[in-house]
Amino acid sequence: MIEDAPIAAAPFELASVSGGVVSLGDLTAAGSAVVLFVTEECPTCAMTLRRLSRTAQELAEAGIQVAAVFEDPLEVAARTARRAGFRATVLSEPAPYEVSAAYELQSVPTTLLVNSAGNVARRVIGWDRDRLDELIEEAWAPSAGSPPRVVADDPPRKPGCAAKSTYDAETLAALDGAGSYDELEEMFERGWSDGLPVIPPTPERVQAMLGAREASTSLGQVPPAMGEATLQRLAACAVLAGCRPEYFPVVIAAAVAALEPAFNLNAQAVTTQPAGQLVILNGPARETLGLNASIGALGPGNRANLTIGRALRLMVSLTGGGYPGRMDRATLGHPGKIGFCLAEDERVSPWEPLHVERGFEPDQSVVTLIACDAPMSISDHRSLTPEELTRVLGWAAAATWSPNWWPLGGTSLFVICPEHAALFGEAGWSKQRVREEMFEAVQRPAHKLRWGETTPQVQAAPEFEAIKKWDSPDDIVLVVAGGEAGRYSAVFGPCLGLQAEIVSKEVA
Amino acid sequence: MNYVSPFDDRHREAEPLAPRQTPLLGARVALLDINKRRGDEFLDRVEQRLLDHGAHTFRVVKEIFSKPADPEIIRRIAGRGDLTVEALAD
Repeated sequence: MIEDAPIAAAPFELASVSGGVVSLGDLTAAGSAVVLFVTEECPTCAMTLRRLSRTAQELAEAGIQVAAVFEDPLEVAARTARRAGFRATVLSEPAPYEVSAAYELQSVPTTLLVNSAGNVARRVIGWDRDRLDELIEEAWAPSAGSPPRVVADDPPRKPGCAAKSTYDAETLAALDGAGSYDELEEMFERGWSDGLPVIPPTPERVQAMLGAREASTSLGQVPPAMGEATLQRLAACAVLAGCRPEYFPVVIAAAVAALEPAFNLNAQAVTTQPAGQLVILNGPARETLGLNASIGALGPGNRANLTIGRALRLMVSLTGGGYPGRMDRATLGHPGKIGFCLAEDERVSPWEPLHVERGFEPDQSVVTLIACDAPMSISDHRSLTPEELTRVLGWAAAATWSPNWWPLGGTSLFVICPEHAALFGEAGWSKQRVREEMFEAVQRPAHKLRWGETTPQVQAAPEFEAIKKWDSPDDIVLVVAGGEAGRYSAVFGPCLGLQAEIVSKEVA
Repeated sequence: MNYVSPFDDRHREAEPLAPRQTPLLGARVALLDINKRRGDEFLDRVEQRLLDHGAHTFRVVKEIFSKPADPEIIRRIAGRGDLTVEALAD
């Protein structure tokens, strides 16, 4: 379509992808100019840019300026022009597209011939081979020789898309959102996630996490896919998880513990069991890093607890390839496999903390890794004696793994809430006393356990032989955490059959 | 955008498959029991089929299914066997 002019061309001044700004006056300073309005989203625009790229070159050599005005941000204009091979002037018109509106644009591409007098001499809407040839012929007129022709390939005509200057505000906002780069979505597209949004690991953030540490230092290979855990990759996991740089020493210690052969992460990472890797932090780092050992100690709400545990899990699932549904074959898994980190409340505990039991000094900060299932809450607001409370806690654990799987053949971790711990403390019961009393309290005659899934020991035992839930009091691990009010302790389901030992490492 | 990858992106060549062993007559076949429940029953059935085809068999048992095999076990298999059948899971 051609509209016979002349009408005065609206002046403009737009940013150029080559730097600086270009005005209409710049384009027409030496004669006619061809101004092509386009946008990235329009396929006809892409075709027109591609087909005019060679012609534009020939026009430029003849002193006729050609400029593409993109209804897009500068970087989008640059990228789109580059892909189309369009090497003439490329300008960017920002929203709300006042230049397009001034030219009363209805659709793109729209090609204008602006003559040296500053009038719009011709206007071609959409791709229209014959009309574009006529436009070029008119632009060419003052020069000698035959004018160049646009690409003769089919289609001869092709309609374009609505110009953005005609959009209502809502459509424009939606379009801008869809076309823009979304860093958080990019993380999902790369698979750098556990299913929740992550912090993009930019080089700056990873460097801040690393500090003065050597990026290439290796902590070993992470099973099951045996990706190498360099400090840089671990730092990337810590950034993704949302860790602050000061948490990183704890993340490193947790990773070192997880990669100890005795922990058998390889089996944990691929098993059909639900087991995850619980990180327990003891020592002064709990307080300096602001971990929560009190109200909601196992729940949401605290950045340090949640992100330290998550960083370790991202190392396993990303660096190690133990991603659920791929090499991680857990039938159900459990929510703690997103991130599982607990701080012991050493201030309210009547007992020596876990790391001291395991041979460390009280002033050392230590992570202890335990492979375990999700916690099960145990309510007891009625017991008045330590004997009663021990039986309640122990019998709650009796059904863990499977109701008749006795002895368990693994570790039962109990988180004792402060009120329960106080009852034991006031009675003068040591941790060892609680363990021994619990060990003795939970036993049943073999014949009561002889249905469904049960152990070879139960099957082989005489009918009334007492079978205990645990092989030894040492299979019972006790830590103290939780809010000061409320008598809810918890026992964690075990990880069995994998010889996944408990491993502790000092935080360097 | 430039990011630091959490993945170990190094390309690793896949181990090529060994040539297929035929026939089974006279072949020495290791039956690797990974020590998981009822794996031995599975191997009993496989062993009978192999014997029917004229193969010679021997059993090798891992200490625990959830850890890599001891290098000594791999050496024994490699030293004595032409083929290995592994009973992987219950």
